[in-house]
Amino acid sequence: MSENLYTYGIIKQQDLELDVEGVAGADRIYTVDYKTLSAVVSEIDTTDPERTDEDVEAHNTVLQEVLEYDGGHTVVPMSFGMAFKNERTLKGVLRGARRALRSTLNDIEGTVELGVKILAPADDAVPQDDVQATVTNQLADLSINETENDLFTDRLIVNKSYLVDRDKRDAFDSAIDDVEAEHDDLTIQYTGPWPPYNFVDIHIGAEQQQGG
Amino acid sequence: MFIVDDLFVSPFFSLLDILQTMALNEMYDTKSIRDDIKENQLLYEVGERSEEEHQQRKQELESQLEMAEQIQEQMRDRMEVKK
Repeated sequence: MSENLYTYGIIKQQDLELDVEGVAGADRIYTVDYKTLSAVVSEIDTTDPERTDEDVEAHNTVLQEVLEYDGGHTVVPMSFGMAFKNERTLKGVLRGARRALRSTLNDIEGTVELGVKILAPADDAVPQDDVQATVTNQLADLSINETENDLFTDRLIVNKSYLVDRDKRDAFDSAIDDVEAEHDDLTIQYTGPWPPYNFVDIHIGAEQQQGG
Repeated sequence: MFIVDDLFVSPFFSLLDILQTMALNEMYDTKSIRDDIKENQLLYEVGERSEEEHQQRKQELESQLEMAEQIQEQMRDRMEVKK
């Protein structure tokens, strides 16, 4: 059995075991503790996993399961591909990043990320600036923070990620429903809840992954 | 590919060479191809594009991206055009 540990995210210390398929077909997701932190991990054969669509989806699925586990967890998500040589290396990294991780966990406590993309109709030449302004103002009022994402096609009039308190989730859902009801010509892609990928900024040195 | 080859063997860069390079830059604009890949994925996810159309387009765009990256890499090695 490989000692390498693939890491999905960090939560406040808690034993957790999930029966969900992880990256590279892993069937056991569990936690490795370092003081007040727990890393959510599975075993993997390599420290440099290939970024396939299936594995990126598995990474996200595990994080969503953690997010919803036992009434909901706050999780600092790792980006895809963070695999460590062994448990000792992982704990060394957690030691180094402990202060930043604890601070981030406090900042995002009780929140989730929600994604909103709004597409104008394919044949629509009318500017949608007024819709864009109204909708984003409404959603901004219900969120703690937001990030503007790339408008990678002319049809996209909104592409944002919102950091939302779990308590405001229903109100946010309703606001999206209202937009859909008022603008049936628009296509809305509403995704989540996600761990707050776009609202954490922790860099763990690549050299730390390989050492140990 | 003849244009690219000609461009690479020429020891002098005329205005025409520069215009050719700029045109190639536009033709092999990797960001624009990446945007098209994202658009293709989004249109599939919202149901505007079928699984078959999505897969076909995805393969085309990934091939284009691979070629564009190779061309851009070669162009970077050979000459630099200040914009």
